[in-house]
Amino acid sequence: MSGTSDKERAEHLLYDDEGESVTDRPWIFRTYAGHTSARASNELFRSNLAKGQVGLSIAFDLPTQCGYSSDADIALPEAGKVGVPINSLDDFHVLFDQIPIERMNTSMTINGTSMWLLALYIALARERGVAEDQLRGTTQNDIVKEYLARGTYIFPPDASARIISEMYEYCLENIPNWNASNICSYHLQEAGATPAQELAYALANALGTLDTIRERGKFTDEQFERCVGRISFFVNSGIRFVEEMCKMRAFTEMWNEITRDRYGVTNPKYRRFRYGVQVNSLGLTEKQPENNAWRILIEALGVTLSRKARCRALQLPTWNEALSLPRAWDQQWSLRLQQILAYETDLLDYPDLFDGSRVVESKVAELKQAARAEIDKILEMGGVRAAIDSGYMKSGLVRSMSERMSRINRGEMVVVGVNKWAEGLPSPLVGGDDGGLFRVDSAAVAEALDTLKATRADRDEDRAQAALTALKAAATSGESMMEASIECALARVTTGEWADTLRGIFGEYRATTGVEGQTLRLDEDRVGALRARIDRYAEQAGHRPRIVVGKPGLDGHSNGAEVIAVAARYTGFDVIYSGIRLTPQEIVTSAVEESADIIGVSILSGSHVELARQVMNQLETAGARDKVPVVFGGIIPETDFEELTAIGIRRIFTPSDYELIDVMERIMTVVEEARG
Amino acid sequence: MSELVDNALALDKWSLGRLISQFEDTRASAAAMRSDILTELAGRQDSRRATFVGITGPPGVGKSSIIGELATRLIATDETTAVAVLAVDPTSHVSGGALLGDRTRVNFPADELRLFFRSQASERDLGGVGRATFAVCRLMRHLFDYVFIETVGIGQSEIEIQQVADWTYLMVQPLTGDAIQFMKAGVMEIPSAFILNKCDEKTVAQRSYAALSSSLRAFRADGTVPTIHRTSAHTGEGVAEVVAEIAAPDFAPNRPTLRDKELYFLEKWIRDEYGRAGLAFYKEQGADAFLSGDLPTAYEQAQTRFANTFGIQ
Repeated sequence: MSGTSDKERAEHLLYDDEGESVTDRPWIFRTYAGHTSARASNELFRSNLAKGQVGLSIAFDLPTQCGYSSDADIALPEAGKVGVPINSLDDFHVLFDQIPIERMNTSMTINGTSMWLLALYIALARERGVAEDQLRGTTQNDIVKEYLARGTYIFPPDASARIISEMYEYCLENIPNWNASNICSYHLQEAGATPAQELAYALANALGTLDTIRERGKFTDEQFERCVGRISFFVNSGIRFVEEMCKMRAFTEMWNEITRDRYGVTNPKYRRFRYGVQVNSLGLTEKQPENNAWRILIEALGVTLSRKARCRALQLPTWNEALSLPRAWDQQWSLRLQQILAYETDLLDYPDLFDGSRVVESKVAELKQAARAEIDKILEMGGVRAAIDSGYMKSGLVRSMSERMSRINRGEMVVVGVNKWAEGLPSPLVGGDDGGLFRVDSAAVAEALDTLKATRADRDEDRAQAALTALKAAATSGESMMEASIECALARVTTGEWADTLRGIFGEYRATTGVEGQTLRLDEDRVGALRARIDRYAEQAGHRPRIVVGKPGLDGHSNGAEVIAVAARYTGFDVIYSGIRLTPQEIVTSAVEESADIIGVSILSGSHVELARQVMNQLETAGARDKVPVVFGGIIPETDFEELTAIGIRRIFTPSDYELIDVMERIMTVVEEARG
Repeated sequence: MSELVDNALALDKWSLGRLISQFEDTRASAAAMRSDILTELAGRQDSRRATFVGITGPPGVGKSSIIGELATRLIATDETTAVAVLAVDPTSHVSGGALLGDRTRVNFPADELRLFFRSQASERDLGGVGRATFAVCRLMRHLFDYVFIETVGIGQSEIEIQQVADWTYLMVQPLTGDAIQFMKAGVMEIPSAFILNKCDEKTVAQRSYAALSSSLRAFRADGTVPTIHRTSAHTGEGVAEVVAEIAAPDFAPNRPTLRDKELYFLEKWIRDEYGRAGLAFYKEQGADAFLSGDLPTAYEQAQTRFANTFGIQ
C-alpha cells in the first residue's frame, strides 16, 4: 500500500492511517426528549430515530429525577411534565419497545437516581438477553452541579460520591463503554458561569470524582488509568462562539495536562477530553423567539468548527425553548440544522482550522490561566466538596449571574429583540392552533399511574421486599449497591421505594442557597426611588415590606428565585427565601408565620396552573386568601395568564420581564395595593 | 383583639403572626395595642410561661439544624409543649433590607401547630439581637413553653443574647478556630454551655473537645468549665442530652429576672430612641421613676412614661 508520503500531504486535507485522504465521521446527533408516559416517549424516540437521529437522549420527569413514584403527593403535579416518568422496569420495557438497545448510544439525564436508572437499563438488557457489555451510553450523574445549579439531588455529598464511585467501579469491567458519569459544565453556564468559572468548576469537579475513586482503592493502577479514560464531560456552548471554541480547546489541553500530571496517566487515549454538548438555553429569548434559531446555529459552530475540540455528541435546544417544552416539529428543525452542518457543508473535510492561529492561542492561554488560578483556589479550600459546603462556588455563580443580568439591564450586553431592536413584526411561528407551544396532555399521565398500580399488584411481593432488604444491607455495610439495585429492578421495585430506602439511610441533603454577599448593578436612580418608596411604606405600615420567595415543586433551577431574592433585599425588602423543593403548604406556612406582605413564586417546570391552585387553596385553609397577594414568575406562556389570574395570582412575570428593577417596582405596587 | 388572642393561644399560625407583627410595629400608635394584648394575655388561665434559650455561633455551624432537632424532640415529650424559634438576621446597612433565616433548615413539618418559626431583621442593631427582639419575647413569653432565639454571632456583638435569654448555648464546630476567636473577643463568659456540633468524625471531635475544655479552663475567670455537648445534627448524636438538659425541671437556675431584662432593654431602647440626652435624663431620674410595679405591661408603660416625661422636658 503506497499512500501519500508525508511530504506530499496537503495541509488542508485529512488522512487516515494508510495515508488515504478522508473526511471525518460526524458527531452523534441527539435530541433531548421524553414526556408524558413511557409509551408516548417511545413513539417519539422511534420517530426521531427514523428521521436520522443517531443516539437517544432521555429526559426524565422531575419525580423520577428526585426519586419519587408518580403517585406520591409531591410528584403528582409534575409527573410526565418535563420528561418521561419511570416507575419500574415495566416502564423501561415500554420505553425501549422495538428499539435495539444493543445498538443504541443512550444518554440519560439523571443524577440523584442515576444508579437506579442504570440498574433498570441493565435489568432490561438481562431480561432481553442482551449482553451487558454491549450497552453504550451515559448516566449524567454529576451531583456537584445539582447542588450548584440544577437542584435534583437527593442524598448528601458523601453518599452521592459513594454512589458515583460504585457506578464507575461496576461499569469499568462490566459495561466498558458506559460513561458512569458526565461532568457537567453545561448547567454552570446556565447558572451564569463565566468561561473561566466553567472550566475551573468542571475540572475541579472531575478531580473530586477521580480523587474519591482513587482513595477508595478498589482499582489497580491499570484499572484506574482506564477509569480516568472513562471520565466524560457535558459542556455548554454560548453565543460568544469564538470564545466558546477557545474554551473547548482550553478544556482539551487542560484535561490532557491534569490527567498526566496529577494521575500519571501515560496512555494519551485516556487523557483525551471526551465531551458532549447541549448548546446554551440561557440566552434564548422569549421575545422574537424566531431569532433563537440563529443563536442555536451560531452556538453549534462554537463546538464543531475546531476539529481538535469538536464535541462527540451534540444536542440542540429548539427555537421556542423560552416559551415551552419543544414539539416534535421543533426538534426536527433543530436536528436538520445538525444534518446540514455535517453533511451539506465541507466542515468535516479539514484538519483543525485554528492550529497556528496566534489569536486563538493567546485567548486559550488566557482562559487556561484564569481557570488554573480558580482551580488552585478551590483545591486550597479542600477541593470541590469544601467549596460547595462553604457556599463558595454557589456564591460565585450567583454573583456572575447577577452581573450578567445587570449588564443586560444597562444595555452593555446586547440582546437583539430584547434590549435592542425590540420592535419587530409579529412572528408567524407562534401562530397556528397550538400557538407554537407544546402542551402535555394532563390525562396522559394516567397511563403511567395505571402501569404503576399494575406493577405493584402483579409483582412477587416477597422478592421485591427481599430485594429492598438487600439494598438496605448493602447501603449500611458499605458494599456496592449496584447488584442489589439491579435485583430491585428485576423484582419490580418502584423508583420511590428504591430512593426512600436509601433516603432512610443516607438522609436528604439541602444545598446552600448562595444568595448572600453579592451586589446587583441596577439603575441606581430607580433603586434610590424604590428604596425611598419602601422607606415610606415602612413608616406608614410600621414594618418593612416582607416578601416570601419560594420555589415549589421538584424543579431545582433556582437562579430566577435567587436573583429576585437578592434584588428584593437590595431595594429594601425583608426577604424570606428558603431555597428549592418546597411544597405549596410550606410556602404558605412561611408567609403566614412571617406575616409576609407578598408571596413570590418561581416556576419553570410547566406546572404553574396546578401549583397556583395549590398555593391559593393553602392560603384559603390558613385563612389568608385575600390577605397575602401572590405573584408568579417563570416560563409561563401568555395563554395561561387568564387562568392564573382567575385562580387569584396578582401578577405574572416571564423571561421577557428581564429588567429587574422594573419587576421589583411592580412587586412593590402589589404590596401597596394590598395594603390599600 | 380578644379573638386574636384566643386563636393565638390555640397556636393558630395566622393569629400568632399578626400578634408578633404588633410587637415589631415601629409606629408610636402600636404601643397601646401591645399593652392591651399583654394585659389580655396576663388574665388568661391558658397562657404559657416560656423559657428562653439563646443559640449563637458563627455562620454554617449548624444552628438551625440543631434547633430543628431540639424543638422537634421537645414537643415529642408530651402532648402540649409548644416551641417557637425566633431567628435574628442582620439587616443591610445600605438598603435597610434583610435576607431572613433559612427556615427550611429547621425542617419543621408545615402542619405542626406546636412548632412556630419567625424570622426577624436586626434593623441595623449592633447588639446581636434585633431592636424588636425583646418586645416580641415579651409576647412569646405567654404563648410558648420554649423559645429558641437564634443569632448569627462571631464575637463581640453577641453579648446581648444573654440579656434576653435565660440560658445561652454557644455553638462551635471542630477545628475551625472559632472558639479561639470568641476568646479573643472576650465573650467566653457568656455561654451557659457549649455545643460542639458536627461531631461526625470521632477522633477530630475528641481532639476539639479536649482543646476547647482546656482553653476554657484557662480563660474563665473562675476556672470552671461549663458543659460541652458534642452533637451531630446528621446522626442525631448528643442531641438527646441537650434536650434532657433543657427539659429538666431545674434548667437554667440562675436565669435573669424579668425585671433585670426590662431594665437592660429599657436603657437600650432609650439610647436608641433618644440618644445620649435621653440616657442622661433617665439616669438622673432613676429607673424607678419609670419602671415600677410588677404589671405585665410594666415595660411598655415605662416606655410610654419616658416618652411623655422626656418629651415634655
